[in-house]
Amino acid sequence: MSEPADGAVPTGEVEAPPEDSTIWRQVHPATPLINAWKALGVLVAIVAFNMMESIGATLELVSEFPVVWVVLAVAGALVVVLLVALGYSWLAWKRMRYAVGEDAVFHHQGILFRSQRHARLNRIQGVDIVRPLLGRLVGLAVVNIETAGGAKSNVRIQFLKDDEAERLRAEVLGRAAGLRGTTRPGAAPGEAPVFSQAPERRVYALPLGDLLLSVLLSPAAVTLVVLVLLLVPVGLLVGDAGWAAFFGLIPAALAGFGLFYSQFDSGFNFTLAVSPDGIRLRHGLLSTQAQTLPPGRVQAVRLSQFLLWRVRDWWRVEVNVAGYGLDTGNNGVPSSRTVIMPVGGRADAVNVLWLVLHDLGVDEPDTVIAAALTGTLDDGGFLPSPPAARWVDPLTWRRNGLLITRTALLMRRGRLTRTLTVVPHERTQSLAIQQGPWERRLGLADLRADSVPGPVRPVVPHLPATLAGQVLFEQAARARAARSKEGPEEWMRRVGVADPETAPEPEE
Amino acid sequence: MTADPFSPGGVVFRPVSGNLVTVRLISAGLSLGIPLLALAALAVWVTPWFWLGAAVPLALLLWLLWLVPRQVRAIGYAEADDDLVIRRGILFKSMSIVPYGRMQFVDVHQGPLDRHFGISSVQLHTASASTDATLPGLPADEASRLRDRLTARGEARLAGL
Repeated sequence: MSEPADGAVPTGEVEAPPEDSTIWRQVHPATPLINAWKALGVLVAIVAFNMMESIGATLELVSEFPVVWVVLAVAGALVVVLLVALGYSWLAWKRMRYAVGEDAVFHHQGILFRSQRHARLNRIQGVDIVRPLLGRLVGLAVVNIETAGGAKSNVRIQFLKDDEAERLRAEVLGRAAGLRGTTRPGAAPGEAPVFSQAPERRVYALPLGDLLLSVLLSPAAVTLVVLVLLLVPVGLLVGDAGWAAFFGLIPAALAGFGLFYSQFDSGFNFTLAVSPDGIRLRHGLLSTQAQTLPPGRVQAVRLSQFLLWRVRDWWRVEVNVAGYGLDTGNNGVPSSRTVIMPVGGRADAVNVLWLVLHDLGVDEPDTVIAAALTGTLDDGGFLPSPPAARWVDPLTWRRNGLLITRTALLMRRGRLTRTLTVVPHERTQSLAIQQGPWERRLGLADLRADSVPGPVRPVVPHLPATLAGQVLFEQAARARAARSKEGPEEWMRRVGVADPETAPEPEE
Repeated sequence: MTADPFSPGGVVFRPVSGNLVTVRLISAGLSLGIPLLALAALAVWVTPWFWLGAAVPLALLLWLLWLVPRQVRAIGYAEADDDLVIRRGILFKSMSIVPYGRMQFVDVHQGPLDRHFGISSVQLHTASASTDATLPGLPADEASRLRDRLTARGEARLAGL
């Protein structure tokens, strides 16, 4: 495996950059090797999978030739494939380059089909560093820069050395925040400025025991137990046919295991830290990821508690972030990015809520939060569903509730799984009320605040219809006022934090 | 019973073009009329039992004849200073309020039937996928006027995300 020359940034050739300060860089020279191995792995998997179906025929065919020939043929084929993949990856590597400019991130790649992606820094929603298992072994990482343009709106730079990836993250976030960075004393003119790593303070770490217990008490686990309890007696009764059914269930069991594993993986070694760059989340068992969510990027928050989690008063915190969508993670794109706390006690969950919201806009936040998490009816000043709602919503109507504070909409729902959804006024996209025939008869309506795609869907069902209609228009005005007060995208300037590195110089 | 939340005071809703009824009925007539004719032909030439099958598209067609004009009449929109308000539905009613500053882009669609009857549909897109702000059946010049007005207002009230 080829090692980098001396840890220096492989600058590559400096092309005519889109802007003067833009300097093209290349990804790590080991990238083609890793990509070639991956291509080989995929190919072998495909061939093996196809041969599985006719394994007997294949073995018969193979056994007609001497063993040595077979081994040589297979090895030769593998080497040829590897060489071709290596050549292609190397060419692709030569073509791929990226740069960070004053206003944008640039990424160019492709041999036959070329692509150029330029992402504006002030539209960046988050920066992730992903270390896939293979990358972790050799100290390489993927940097994933997310913008708010739908499912594939990210700039993915792979692979970089770990420290280089961290420098790139600091640079992208620093520039997006409106910092300028420092140039090395005595640097040549035009040399790229340096951005220091933002200091971070750890706020929450998830203990392994809590994670295991929370997974065992999760809805998936309960479903599995119920299924087994139902199926095993059936299998025993039916006998042989039951065994066939048992084997038929193996794929389902694997899928279930996958679900458990992903829950476990997304919570393993989970830590949450705050830094001037934003909230930084780290987790992962085999492949690890570190997400950074700059301030003001969270569009909606949900705290939820599954029935069995009440034993420990545990809560999960999820967010909507533009560009994250519902993507569940594939090659290089982090998984479960919308969960910012997989499980934690109530105090921790509320702490995390403060981190993303800063101000709930009420005078007695503790009372309101308690009412929102576990209260019913008009506890804490919530606008509840009227008793008439019991006819359409017999189980949970007491929990439905809406509270409008100075800064946010609080939506309370759910009896078995309690949830609290919070949407800051300046983050509502559009608002709607809906009413079905039964609701009209009972004088009820649902209020919906549309948010960007994600796990959180802010809706309060079965509110008094007249009030819902009033709230709709009041809320539109409130959201407008909140938006007009919102500061610039460059958050370091917004909060008036002086750039520690360029503070003495006057800001132009 | 209290005031209807779907008729807020001070908001004057404008209806969409009545031609939308014609367009929707023609397309329903095409998709239901063809199976109806086919089944009727089979009933005449093969066995009268096919009349039973033919009754299904016929009933649907009659129901749509009754439903579509009401549905279209229920659609209304109002251009407030800062938002577009859209109301729709008879049985399942909804009313959305979409701030111009939240708009990401505007779509104007016109199919061949729409073109013949001089209507098109305007759809507002925000960053949310669940925003349901489609206005079908606007007269074509009203649609382009609304589109230009929406984009102009969206720019004036630009709020990013």
